[in-house]
Amino acid sequence: MRYALFLGCKIPSYAPQYETSARAVLKELGLKLAAVEFNCCGYPLRDQHFHSFILSAARNLALAEAKGVPVITLCKCCLGSLKRAQSFLAQQPELLSMVRAKLALEGLDYQGTTSVRHLQSVLHAEVGVEKISDLITRPLQGLKVATMYGCHALRPSRITGFDNNAFAPSLIEDLLKAVGAEAVPWKGRLKCCGGPLRERNPELSLATIMMRLKEFADSGAEVLNVDCPHTLLQVKWAHETLTVQGKASLPGVVLYPQLLGLALGLEPKRLALDKNSPPPRELTGHLPPPAEGKNLMSKVVSGNCCYLLP
Amino acid sequence: MIFDISLYLALAICVAGLIYKIRSWLTVSVDHQDRQYPPAQRAGAALAGLGRAVFSRRIGPMLRALVLDGLLQGRSLHHSGLAWVAHILLFVGFMGLLLLHALGGQITASLFRDYYPTIDPWLWLRDALGIMVLVGVGLIIARRLFVRGLRLTTRTRDRLAIILLAVVLLSGFALQAVKITSSEAFDRMAREYAGLDDPQEIKALRSVWATDYGVVFAPGQTGGGEELMALGRELNQNSCVECHSPAAHAFASYGLSMVLRSVALALDRAGGPQALYFIHFLACFLGLAMLPFTKFLHLIVGPVILAVNAATQRATMNPAARAALRALELDACTHCGTCTVHCSVAVTLRLLPNDEILPSERLASLAAKAHGNNGDRAHLAAMRDGAYICTNCQRCTRLCPLGINLNDLWTALKQDLADEGLGAPLKEISTFAGKAALPSRGRKEVLVNTNGFQKELKHSAQANSFAECYSCRECTNACPLVFMSEWPNQELDLLPHQVMYCLKLGLKEEAMGARMVWNCLTCYECQEACPNLVQVTDVMYELRYLAAQAAQAATA
Repeated sequence: MRYALFLGCKIPSYAPQYETSARAVLKELGLKLAAVEFNCCGYPLRDQHFHSFILSAARNLALAEAKGVPVITLCKCCLGSLKRAQSFLAQQPELLSMVRAKLALEGLDYQGTTSVRHLQSVLHAEVGVEKISDLITRPLQGLKVATMYGCHALRPSRITGFDNNAFAPSLIEDLLKAVGAEAVPWKGRLKCCGGPLRERNPELSLATIMMRLKEFADSGAEVLNVDCPHTLLQVKWAHETLTVQGKASLPGVVLYPQLLGLALGLEPKRLALDKNSPPPRELTGHLPPPAEGKNLMSKVVSGNCCYLLP
Repeated sequence: MIFDISLYLALAICVAGLIYKIRSWLTVSVDHQDRQYPPAQRAGAALAGLGRAVFSRRIGPMLRALVLDGLLQGRSLHHSGLAWVAHILLFVGFMGLLLLHALGGQITASLFRDYYPTIDPWLWLRDALGIMVLVGVGLIIARRLFVRGLRLTTRTRDRLAIILLAVVLLSGFALQAVKITSSEAFDRMAREYAGLDDPQEIKALRSVWATDYGVVFAPGQTGGGEELMALGRELNQNSCVECHSPAAHAFASYGLSMVLRSVALALDRAGGPQALYFIHFLACFLGLAMLPFTKFLHLIVGPVILAVNAATQRATMNPAARAALRALELDACTHCGTCTVHCSVAVTLRLLPNDEILPSERLASLAAKAHGNNGDRAHLAAMRDGAYICTNCQRCTRLCPLGINLNDLWTALKQDLADEGLGAPLKEISTFAGKAALPSRGRKEVLVNTNGFQKELKHSAQANSFAECYSCRECTNACPLVFMSEWPNQELDLLPHQVMYCLKLGLKEEAMGARMVWNCLTCYECQEACPNLVQVTDVMYELRYLAAQAAQAATA
């Protein structure tokens, strides 16, 4: 079976490392991707234009329907938007007929049959934690990771279906354990990154992510794991602000596919680790030397970032 | 005479136009920042930047962009094979004709010693190049007709450019065709090159050219007879063949001449070749004269933009040079529609009738605005709305065949509109809602009015779930915004459960204007926490729609 990778508006231009690492990992795991040119998921339109939000989301789902491929999203806000639109369309017949009429103008149709899942859900449910554990060649030996779940994937849980228990989810922890990392419990785990307020109230938006970073500093974790481009951008913004102010920033941010890729033995270059801001400098110390017979990798330390090069 | 006069006139207009354009690149500004830089500073910064880039390692990416994205048009290949084929045909055909045919005497002749437009390969090559352009124009017309985004946005400017190209090409083929059949042209050539005066010999050569080259003569000017033909063939061999490949090798024109045979004599007598010649070169010169003012300008400015953008980062660029580059980009757009066809939010046009959502249209409006044609306030507001519906995904910037940094222009446009009092729409709506809430805020008695109010929250199915709220405050306890506020009631006006309660009381304005609603993080903690399934976050969304509607009604 093939999947359609839904990149959304942010990843290609602002977080290309997410696409790079996700594609590398999916390829390694043998998941095939179909090329579909999607449009905006509708999320940025949602504050002001309800119907445009629904139509945008529905068009994407109709495009995937036409190709008969399930959708994998990387962005958690895209996931939330597509899922929310799906549920509105299932409940509101008038909305559905309006959307179908508009889509019919370009030969598309919406039946609501497309499955939409976040990359992590697919890894958890379809690839499976056990299989991932089996495939790991270089476990991240006790790397302490603080993860952020991402609001729009987690809630409303009945609609997004990311984890059944939105108050005590375990999906990402399962995945982190599978790559040998240690998931650290911390305050900001299920909290908001402030991303949605970035345009409406930048001050409050920044204050929100700063609070998360403070909580992260108290967590004792070595690296922050986020899997939403909006959170990634928030972290980058906070990091840049702290750097300008001459204050110490957080140790580093990393995406799950990057962690998984490293544990699968992929080269850091294929996971675009150097594109993260701030770069995860603690990461490489946890990597054991590759097994005998695999290509030799040596640590190259450059600035405050460790790259692994063949 | 007319040829020379019109050529020099066209050249003069073209040069004057280019000077005018260069002046505009140094004076036209997109936003207030650009306006700070006078022409001299812009020119200096642009030249200095270009010089630094050329004499540095950045020359590599520049050359690469010029070859891959300029000559080979790699950027269009990424998004549409058909568009690439069309444009490559057009580009190769057009440049080939320009060098081999229009400037054949100057350029091709100096490169190839035995250049003669009437012998192979030049003879068939010209037709082949012409057919390439024609097929390219055909494909471009087809794309404009069948791709929805392009059909919607096609303007007079686009039609004129296509018509002009088509006129040049078709008149060229027609001219070649009537020259093939023209007996007058034959007679002139025979006089000048063969130097025949024996009527029998002339008749013999005519007979050969009538049968072998497709010339149409008046009845009686040719004759049959093996002997006459043999004589004609000999004369042809001695005088003509060296400089004249078979007319059929100009395959397209020859084919057209076959169609025109029945009217060839009449056309010839009526001065058809001269008329077509006039049409052909005048159309060419019209194109030349209009070059700076039509989309053909991209032939000159396109490579500049591709090279500069390959070597520089917009964020770190000298602002004076950036001002010039932005003005250049505004002029470079060919309105090819690639950005619009792939625009991530173009689908919203089906519900929001505003052409300014489409990048190609917004860019045209921005160019007009930068040149001083602001349009009315409603037009500016439409531009603003379009600019804020844009999600800054940068797909347009990545796909533009000319490498125009549209995203940078959108940022500048938003800044400029904000300076004119047209900022983010949501900001305006929230301000409006905040003011509308003032009269009812803090009053002791409330007039409870729930009549029909629930129907106003009509967007989502669960919007009316606020009615189920029993004020247990789980939502407020879960809200990170409340948690972050020192004095939540004063900083947010209402707490989440109070917003729900206001709605139950029918205090629409008060709920709509609360800062709680406008600073809501949409994290869904409240909704998840609600024990009675009130869709708190979705109600917050609903209140924002309601405020948007009220604000729109107030301005209209």
